[in-house]
Amino acid sequence: MKKKTKALASLRKREMLLTGMLFLAPVLIFLAVFVIYPIIESFHISFFKWNGISAGREFIGWKNWKTLFMDGNFRRAAGNNLIIMALSILIQIPLGLAMATFLEFGKKKFKVFKVVWFIPHLMSSVAIGFLFSYALATNGGIISTISKWFGGGNVDLLGSSTLALYAVIGVICWQFSPFYMVYFLAAYTNISEEIYEAARIDGATKGKYFWHIVLPLLKPSLKSAAILSMVGALKYFDLIYVMTGGGPGSSTELMATYMYTLSFSNFNMGYGSCVASGMFLIITLMSLFTMKVLNRIGGDA
Amino acid sequence: MKAKKVLSVLLAVTLTVMLAACGSGQSQEVAPKAEGGAAGSQEEQPGEKKPAGQENASDEDKVITFWNITTGDPDKAIMNYAVDQFNQNSSSGYQTEVVAVQNDNYKEKLIIAMSSGECPDMYTSWTGGPMIEYIESGFAQPLDDLFYKSDLPNRLTEGSIAQGTYNGHIYAIPVNNVSVTGIFYNKEIFDKYNLQVPETIGQLESVCDTLLGNGITPFALANQEKWTGSQYFMYLATRYGGLDAFTSAADGTGSFEDECFIKAGETIKNWVKKGYFPEGVNSLSWNDGMAKQLFYQENAAMMLTGSGMSSVFMNDSEEFFNKLGWFPFPVAEGVDTDPTLMIGTMGDQFISFNCTGEKLEAAFECVTNYSTPEGAQFMVDKGKIPPVKGIEEKVSNPLLKTVIEYANKASNVQLYYDQYLPPAVAQVHLNTMQEVFGLTMEPAEAAKQMQKANQDYLAEK
Repeated sequence: MKKKTKALASLRKREMLLTGMLFLAPVLIFLAVFVIYPIIESFHISFFKWNGISAGREFIGWKNWKTLFMDGNFRRAAGNNLIIMALSILIQIPLGLAMATFLEFGKKKFKVFKVVWFIPHLMSSVAIGFLFSYALATNGGIISTISKWFGGGNVDLLGSSTLALYAVIGVICWQFSPFYMVYFLAAYTNISEEIYEAARIDGATKGKYFWHIVLPLLKPSLKSAAILSMVGALKYFDLIYVMTGGGPGSSTELMATYMYTLSFSNFNMGYGSCVASGMFLIITLMSLFTMKVLNRIGGDA
Repeated sequence: MKAKKVLSVLLAVTLTVMLAACGSGQSQEVAPKAEGGAAGSQEEQPGEKKPAGQENASDEDKVITFWNITTGDPDKAIMNYAVDQFNQNSSSGYQTEVVAVQNDNYKEKLIIAMSSGECPDMYTSWTGGPMIEYIESGFAQPLDDLFYKSDLPNRLTEGSIAQGTYNGHIYAIPVNNVSVTGIFYNKEIFDKYNLQVPETIGQLESVCDTLLGNGITPFALANQEKWTGSQYFMYLATRYGGLDAFTSAADGTGSFEDECFIKAGETIKNWVKKGYFPEGVNSLSWNDGMAKQLFYQENAAMMLTGSGMSSVFMNDSEEFFNKLGWFPFPVAEGVDTDPTLMIGTMGDQFISFNCTGEKLEAAFECVTNYSTPEGAQFMVDKGKIPPVKGIEEKVSNPLLKTVIEYANKASNVQLYYDQYLPPAVAQVHLNTMQEVFGLTMEPAEAAKQMQKANQDYLAEK
């Protein structure tokens, strides 16, 4: 008797597993074909010398990886990614939070801003890049015109190898801050009205309510926003490609644009794949590390 | 808690790989196939393997796919002319289907198509380094037999045929445009300030100084694309050191740190400082028409570019085109280099073929339509100079006549560095040059990096 129950239980367990597998299959197959296989294949190709189109590939072992470690261009590109990452987190998240807080505290009064502020995020990156290459133009652009009002000269932003990166970062923030605004607005809805009322009854001002109640409650959202922003910045591509093409020189080159140039312009698919794999490792390790650190600080992401 | 953590790690990882997946995914789906077919094929001679041709041979439908960059007129009209002639009149039974791709990422798309076994039957290229990659990877067929059987040897100029030749075989047929780089200038502005067409670099500088003094930018240049500014460097280096300095530097017997390259860089630096180029030149985009705008609005008086631009000017505004004159890049004083040397291409687009047998014959027939007397005349009417013998008699426009005169006189026409050099070295040339224009890199340092890149390439080879 006992034996039979056990068999039934295990049968049921097996059935559950099968059903689960069946439901997961579409996603798993999709991930396997379009995500996991390309990653593995990228690593595979990184051990070859290959121009990307010829039928023959030459196995060269760790040579691409050794080049990658010594490659000043890659280091510079990774450095640019880190700058974008730091500034993205420091600008986009506080700005997004500020906008969300403004809308939340203003309630229905400012509803129109919710729409207006979200528009930048709805535009395509190519359109934004095109728009801003005129807006930031040296001759007749917005910044140059403002500088001229105050008696300054023309300002060359996108054509300057020291300023171009920051100019593009400004545009990136313009594009992505609204995303975090919506993200935090959603987080706000998780804070129940009673908490606000209780705080007000206890005599908290809106400022106090924000700093001592909202912020701690939003901590998990802030953490995942930071991770999202970090990963986004490390794999960034579009606006740089559209606005500067990695230039002037290689001053705004990112890991992703570098990979693109190597693979598709320089006929060096082997090394391009190596850069892609290197990116994958860097981003994965950094995400894991950041998550660990954030979790140690407290709370649950 | 634990599961949630694992999930968020997974999420991050998935986001991470999105780009990596787009970047190299397309090419990898076919990688195993390529590998399978490649066993032992590495030593095959170029031209003997036909990875895509084999598939096409068994292809039942008689459609020739033709990739090119003719997204706008007049190039589109010219291409349509040749293809329509073929589709209507050919007895081969084949039809050509055109896929026009934006110039900006045409090369990238072609690479992806080739690596995924979808290489078009016919495609255009600019010859040079990339064409050699296509040939060596087996995506271009030698055309000698078809070529010498046809009427083309009588029609096309030797120089243009030579440019489509590699290792003694013809791999690409020139179609479109002889385009030597020279200076278009606004005759009205020159007349207004009493300026003469300069013959030496010194005279050119004094022309520029006069223009500057009158608030006009001397050169309309948009250098975000990098190759645009490179034209100044190529000419200056050629005038200071001749062509041998470059060809020997490229094949490793000379050096890119040769005096003429450094001097050319110094001249550019000096010109940038003096304001010969528009402010923020590296942020202006050629593809977005920003150089043209300066020129059309008459804020700039000269433009150094390929003579092929004449058809664009003509197409944009006939009235403006009539204001223009053209002169070759001035010569350097006190240097004994050949003053007739020019930078340019003997036929702006070259067609290569990735098909065999009957289909190749049909595709080749399609291409011959470009250079028939009627086809050539059609191009001339559109402001082009087709690479056809005796073209000077067909052209009546004085500007184009001048161009042909100098092109015919040229003892040699050097293909643009960024097309001639292997792509990896070309990239370094373009990047360092842009930094010289931005005054963020010393010409000597640019030369050093070029030399190193080329040495690395030659060592790899």
